[in-house]
Amino acid sequence: MRLDVRGVSVHLDGRPIVHEADLLVDDGEFVCLVGPNGCGKSTLMRTIYRALRPASGLITVDGDDVHGLSWRESARRTAVVAQETPAELDFTVGEVVLMGRTPYERAAAEDEERCARALDRVGLAGAQERIYATLSGGEKQRALVARALVQETRLLLLDEPTSHLDVRHQLEILHLVRELGAELGLATLAVLHDLNQAAAFCDRLYVMSAGRVLAGGPPDQVLTPELISQVYTVRAVRRTQLVFERLKEEDG
Amino acid sequence: MTSETRQERAPAKPAGGARPRRRARYTALVAALAVAVVAATWLAVSIGAVPVALPQTWGIVADRLVPGLVPHTWTPVQEQIVWEFRLPRALLALLVGAGLAVVGAVLQALVRNPLADPFLLGISSGASFGAVLVLILGAGTLGGLSLSGAAFAGSLLALGLVYVLAQRSGKITPSRLVLAGVALAYLFQALYSFVLQQAQSGRAAQQVLFWLMGSLGGARWEMLPLPTAVLAAGLVYLLLQHRQLNALTAGEETAVSLGVNVHRLRITLFVLTSLLVGVLVATSGAIAFVGLIVPHAARLLVGADHRRVLPVTALLGAAFLQLVDLAARTINAPQELALSIVTALFGVPFFLWLLRRRSVDRAVTVG
Repeated sequence: MRLDVRGVSVHLDGRPIVHEADLLVDDGEFVCLVGPNGCGKSTLMRTIYRALRPASGLITVDGDDVHGLSWRESARRTAVVAQETPAELDFTVGEVVLMGRTPYERAAAEDEERCARALDRVGLAGAQERIYATLSGGEKQRALVARALVQETRLLLLDEPTSHLDVRHQLEILHLVRELGAELGLATLAVLHDLNQAAAFCDRLYVMSAGRVLAGGPPDQVLTPELISQVYTVRAVRRTQLVFERLKEEDG
Repeated sequence: MTSETRQERAPAKPAGGARPRRRARYTALVAALAVAVVAATWLAVSIGAVPVALPQTWGIVADRLVPGLVPHTWTPVQEQIVWEFRLPRALLALLVGAGLAVVGAVLQALVRNPLADPFLLGISSGASFGAVLVLILGAGTLGGLSLSGAAFAGSLLALGLVYVLAQRSGKITPSRLVLAGVALAYLFQALYSFVLQQAQSGRAAQQVLFWLMGSLGGARWEMLPLPTAVLAAGLVYLLLQHRQLNALTAGEETAVSLGVNVHRLRITLFVLTSLLVGVLVATSGAIAFVGLIVPHAARLLVGADHRRVLPVTALLGAAFLQLVDLAARTINAPQELALSIVTALFGVPFFLWLLRRRSVDRAVTVG
């Protein structure tokens, strides 16, 4: 599985938001997309999972133009975990996770089994009957990761999956998706806000600014003080500081 | 990778107990509702100016279906009243109640807002306008279908307008939705009032006005096939699409990422709800609040999954409107109340309660 974004431009309400973006994610890779607010990274993500159409350029998953596939087929190749989904209605966790089977024919018994396995995998074993809206923020995101798992895709997109979470739960989700990605050989593309986190978690990262992908590569090569000051107009200072790591304990 | 995640955990079992219990509860609920629908209908057919004993009501219906099955213990007048007036009226009540309730459930998923209701959003008024044009301006000679057709056109127009008006740069906000609906309802009411005022016969206009507030008084056997067919086809389609409806409820972009052709689904739901509202309004006028109250009650009973919500909504709506119609024609007998007067007794407090809930105030991204 390979995600290949070539020369993609996206317009919103007639305004150009993304300009000729190039980007590549391979099997088993965890790639981050970073950039300041309004740089177009979320717009690019939404274009990859077909919420938007590109004005020009080509996005292929496994060699096929994503926007030329049937809706079901593209959803069998790409799963998305976005920011916390607002839950207006009282779906149970099981129902939310089972939504991941929407692109497939119904197979009730096996789907229940898949759902149970995925919930187990994200540390929410047995939570099927709980009401999704009553979960904590971290649990909601883990349920959405479980939904992405039962979708059984080879490409996983994470659109700021940690933006509403505190630092412990941010780390928890990032560890979880990175482990899952490594275990299942998924290609993972994540939009993250925190540069330090992105650098710590990704194999490679791309930096966007003003609708363009400025640089891509391993974090220590890309995140130079020059680039950061150019993109964020802040000065990057390397100094010893507090680093947050997850405590090794059973699913705290 | 940490060792903790590598550990093989015991296969998840906990679903085993809860799921079947939940399924059994759902089956019991559906059975209970079906009994309630039959009981309400039985009562409605038996009660009225000419009372008919409950067993005799059964007898009359059974005798009609299988002649000679039961000995006649009733008068011809009772038979005529039950078979020609009350039974078609009661069956129409079931159809309209179920249909409006299902439309409410679908609209609430479509605009992702709990306030959606065909009456509140002006869709029923649009349908009424179409129906009044046919009734007063005399195209009525074309028969029932043209009345339904005009009502369908009116509801489609209203739904399209409210959808466009409620959006601002791709977002539907609840206040815009309700305001757009109220404005359109006034517009269409002004339009059909104008047509009624211009009408030659004041009496005909009076009748139409009463009918517009919701009445099943005109029910005849020949009015039943079209709504029955549309409702049955609509329900089958919606049940087949229940997963898509669930995904749409979770959000447009979520639905897209789950492989739903949102554009096509939305257009289909638009046409389907307009068709249902048009066909139902053509038979019974505009009845308020059924589409608002019933789906919420159904969700309280069975949660949000449309596979369960839709059947329960249909059954609840059918039983509810049956009792409402019974109340409307007995409370102030021999005068009949318009159905919207009775539904408003339940609907207005419920609407105010919904407004006070915080979740209503959330803007929703569309398109």
